[in-house]
Amino acid sequence: MGAAKTYPKVQQQQRPGSGAVLAALLLGLSLSQIACQPHRRSDRLTVASAGRIASLDPAQASTYGTLQLLTALGDTLYSRERDGSLKPQLAARQPQISDGGRTITIPLRRDVLFHDGTRFDAAAMAFSLRRFLRIGTQSYVVGDRIQAIETPAVDVLRLRLSRPSSSLESLLTSPYLTPVSPTAYANHQDSFLNDRFIGTGPYQLASFRATQQRLVPFKRYWGEAPRNAGLDLINLSNSTALFGALRSGEVDVLMSESIDEDQRLALDRRAEAGLLLQSSGPALQIGYVTLLSNAPPLQSQQVRQALAYSLDRPLISERVSHRQRLPLRSLIPPSLRGGKPEPWPLYNPSKARSLFQQAGYCKGNTLQLPFTYRSNVPSDRLMALTWQAQLRRDLDDCVRLSLEGVESTTVYRQLGEGAFKAVMLDWGGSYPDPEAYLAPLLSCTQSSGEICEAGEAVISGSFWTKPGLEAALRRSDAIKGQARLKQLLTIDAMAAEGAAYLPVWLVTPKAWAQTDLAPPEFNGSGQLRLARLEERR
Amino acid sequence: MARSRELLRYCATRLALAPVMLWLIATLVFLLLRVAPGDPVDAVLGSRAPAAAKALLRQRLGLDMPLGHQYLDFLKDLLHGDLGSALINQEPVGEIIAQALPASLELSITALTLAALVGLSIGFSGIARPEGKLDLAGRFYGIGTYALPPFWVAMLLQLLFAVILGWLPVGGRFPPSLVAPTGSGFLIFDSLRSGDWEALNGAVRHLVLPACTLGLLLSGVFTNALRLNLRRALRSDYVEAARSRGLNERQVVLRHALPNAMLPVLTIAGITVASLIGGALLIEVTFSWPGIALRLQESINQRDYPVVQGIVVVVAALVVMVSVVVDLLVALLDPRVRY
Repeated sequence: MGAAKTYPKVQQQQRPGSGAVLAALLLGLSLSQIACQPHRRSDRLTVASAGRIASLDPAQASTYGTLQLLTALGDTLYSRERDGSLKPQLAARQPQISDGGRTITIPLRRDVLFHDGTRFDAAAMAFSLRRFLRIGTQSYVVGDRIQAIETPAVDVLRLRLSRPSSSLESLLTSPYLTPVSPTAYANHQDSFLNDRFIGTGPYQLASFRATQQRLVPFKRYWGEAPRNAGLDLINLSNSTALFGALRSGEVDVLMSESIDEDQRLALDRRAEAGLLLQSSGPALQIGYVTLLSNAPPLQSQQVRQALAYSLDRPLISERVSHRQRLPLRSLIPPSLRGGKPEPWPLYNPSKARSLFQQAGYCKGNTLQLPFTYRSNVPSDRLMALTWQAQLRRDLDDCVRLSLEGVESTTVYRQLGEGAFKAVMLDWGGSYPDPEAYLAPLLSCTQSSGEICEAGEAVISGSFWTKPGLEAALRRSDAIKGQARLKQLLTIDAMAAEGAAYLPVWLVTPKAWAQTDLAPPEFNGSGQLRLARLEERR
Repeated sequence: MARSRELLRYCATRLALAPVMLWLIATLVFLLLRVAPGDPVDAVLGSRAPAAAKALLRQRLGLDMPLGHQYLDFLKDLLHGDLGSALINQEPVGEIIAQALPASLELSITALTLAALVGLSIGFSGIARPEGKLDLAGRFYGIGTYALPPFWVAMLLQLLFAVILGWLPVGGRFPPSLVAPTGSGFLIFDSLRSGDWEALNGAVRHLVLPACTLGLLLSGVFTNALRLNLRRALRSDYVEAARSRGLNERQVVLRHALPNAMLPVLTIAGITVASLIGGALLIEVTFSWPGIALRLQESINQRDYPVVQGIVVVVAALVVMVSVVVDLLVALLDPRVRY
């Protein structure tokens, strides 16, 4: 009514009673909003992420969502802590290495049960490892390293290696090697079991659909019991739906993969305002540009280095992701570099111009470079547009990018055929170890000079190698500790000099939770600890 | 007698042509998928898998065989009703369709019912005063809803009713905290049958936003179709004749003009049903509705040949069936139709 006195003219224009109707409507709207906001009816929590889960079989797993789910339903022999240390899970102690690094003996816990009530032992672990090596779609991450799997005692697993491999310890933290019950998988030794999972984890699977999974705590779990009464995991098909579900209170926790940059920023701002909780995991996914180094014009190292100097990473990070994606100048994520400096050069347009000029470009001869981005990855497109505009601003007479969007499935198919002069991609190691980043991009089994003819460098689309690089990679796997890290950093520096890859940014996994929960926690492998989600006490 | 013989012949011809049409569609899809860039083996194993592993999988999936051989195998299996298994996880394609199709049908039928109710009501409401305010509003509504981009409307409604007001769920088909009833795959029907009211409430709440969005966008087609046909009918000779016989306007419209105006609307409804079965993709994506269009899109991205082929063949069969039924209905209802 006060408002009516303040604005008499407005009151005069309205029909009698319209103010009351409006007020009633607004009141009704407010009440209905309060009434309809979802409230948790139990201690169960709803966790949302993107994409459907096609299979729960560790031998078939590849997507982030599946691997995340497997960490709740199963355990691995070891887990990687946030400080980088290896923590025994199903293993009773740290692995014992003997025979010059060719034998790894792993003592196992004796108090572990599978969800079907059968006992976990060395035979079960051997069954799961052999099954993964036989049918696992990602079995190449182990490669030819494991020569034999032995079970000298009921609680001792022994791995005979074809060569010493210090990265194998990290590999034992990978969810791909999550053990499954030999009894439950007896009929699936050579085939996948997609809609069930019988493991040893803190949760049991109560129901499974590709877009919805129901998890209940496993009462006979050997470790710390889950801090919640169960989880309902939902998989929505797009970023807006995920954002909206958290914003409306429909879900308790949202995992960040596939959230658009603007929505990430909006969620971060809400977290800063105290309306949400936000946690970050170790940044283990890198974004990079691959340059085709076995054909003109990028077979010239000078041109590749000029491009390396031309990349204004802070600007790209700002424009694409509002600095959510941190600028990166190394193929190895900083958390795995031990604090050592990154080897790729800083943005320096003068140096870039000088190198382009030495290669015969600029002043009437402009390098026309086709730059491919994955059309179904919004951040890639923004990166391509930003770099194109930045080059037009800084080096217009030297280099021009012509952009081409190609769907990711086609990009992956044609990458190894040398179809792309320059292409934006990303990579996340299968386990948190520098080797899981260097080998998949640089390993080369057959080469001619600096051109790789067979190996990972071909599959990655760069076709680049350097004499001695493959041997250095092999050597690094045979040593441990600081010496190994130093060797791997040397390889990273060799890759920086070759400039066949241009690291661009680093993606940090994030999770947002409603404020009535305790802040979500990540492990050292970048996975959310689902069992530790709980209501704030 | 002559007319019913004609109708029977037409029906027999349409049914005889249906397999030919399906064969053509299946062949086209088979060839287009093989021509498209991208490799299903890469989609399954990842591009970094060793060549030996890729070759082994290619052999296991029969992708190493000559194209002609693959095509004959595909046709042979199709004739036996075997749609194969998904390359990604070896799930039988028949099961995938059996899970996704009810979701799409539930959404389509509800949306179509809403579209027909709303669209026809609006289309009919303006008929008393042609070019009057109601009629103009109806015309504006018809054109407006037809022209609105579906993803934009869907996101706006999602933002308003799910995110801001919190009245309805943002997406999905069923509350995650409940166990979905089993049976036909039509969750509303299954909930009713099992007497699970909580499940029914959950299923209906999830259906409201996608069905209303789709229904709203489709209703304009019905509005325009009815408006135009009804106006044409009201200007026709038989309506003039009815008026001259002294029938009041209500009887003229309801008994003479409306039934004739509804015949083209029936055809439009048939075409709309057919297109909705496989074509509500933007709505399914926006609302994370686990229907057949969403599944088809994912399978195309993964180059999962058997799933794409299976879905296209099944959807095509349904479209052919619906169009035959609609044609027959129109022929039965309208004695002027000749074949």
